[in-house]
Amino acid sequence: MAETIDIQLKKGVLGLCVLALLARNESYSYEIASTLSDAIGMGEGTIYPLMRRMQSDGWVETRLVESSSGPSRKYYRLTKAGHEALAAQATEWRGFARAVDALLDAAPSETTQEG
Amino acid sequence: MTRNEFINRLKQGLVGLPASSIADIVADHEAHFEDGIAAGRSEAEVAAALGDPDRLARELKAEIGLKKWEDVKTPSSAVTAIFAVLGLGALDILVLLPILMGVAGTLVGFFMAAIGVFIAGGVLFAAGPFLGLPGGIAAAMLGGVGLMAAAVTLAALTGVVTVWLVNGLVWFARLHYRLLKPALEPQAA
Repeated sequence: MAETIDIQLKKGVLGLCVLALLARNESYSYEIASTLSDAIGMGEGTIYPLMRRMQSDGWVETRLVESSSGPSRKYYRLTKAGHEALAAQATEWRGFARAVDALLDAAPSETTQEG
Repeated sequence: MTRNEFINRLKQGLVGLPASSIADIVADHEAHFEDGIAAGRSEAEVAAALGDPDRLARELKAEIGLKKWEDVKTPSSAVTAIFAVLGLGALDILVLLPILMGVAGTLVGFFMAAIGVFIAGGVLFAAGPFLGLPGGIAAAMLGGVGLMAAAVTLAALTGVVTVWLVNGLVWFARLHYRLLKPALEPQAA
């Protein structure tokens, strides 16, 4: 049950995490995938459908960068629309997180009163 | 799973997409393996972290199919979008298929009716004046033009309804697909 909540949460915020990551600096998909895999434990393969969707939504754009080792790499960076989407989603997330925090903070005191 | 097995299964799953899209997706995943191996992971580890290639292929295919419909509203892109949606398994095909068949059949019926009325109108317009119908030549010709105009209207309305229905289906599927996003599930579970 705990795992189900965990997965649901990750699903909801994955796009937001990618936007936040790319807002700091441009990145390539392996880096995005491994960072998010470490941070929130998402499946790495999820990144490709997600990046494609973000690209078709016009939130990210790509450019090829010559690499010293091997073939050139595809870098993603946020567009203006991507920055706007990040700002909107971040506000939404913070409001939501605050509300949940407030509820969680209120919960233990009630149980101690009862117990 | 080795790198080759993963890429091959991914390619198999992507069959039906334009060759350039497949090449693009395969290149993305090849690069992922390259980077993973450069970071000191084994092929099997990278493949496991990526997830099930069949499922990834279905998601990528659906994403491309839906995008195509949003770009160009043609009958073929509508068919692509519908099959992409069904391929996702997000909608129960057994429930949806009879409904889709019914709706598609009705729409085709309307189109056929429109074509029939149009032809009838054309015949009345061209041949009416020589048949000595009551009302005279002008009435026959005007009647013919009227029938043809009605047919065009019917066809146009049917077209609008079709576009609207496919849009609705795409919207519905996207909604589910975003909620489902199955590749996120931990592979171990």
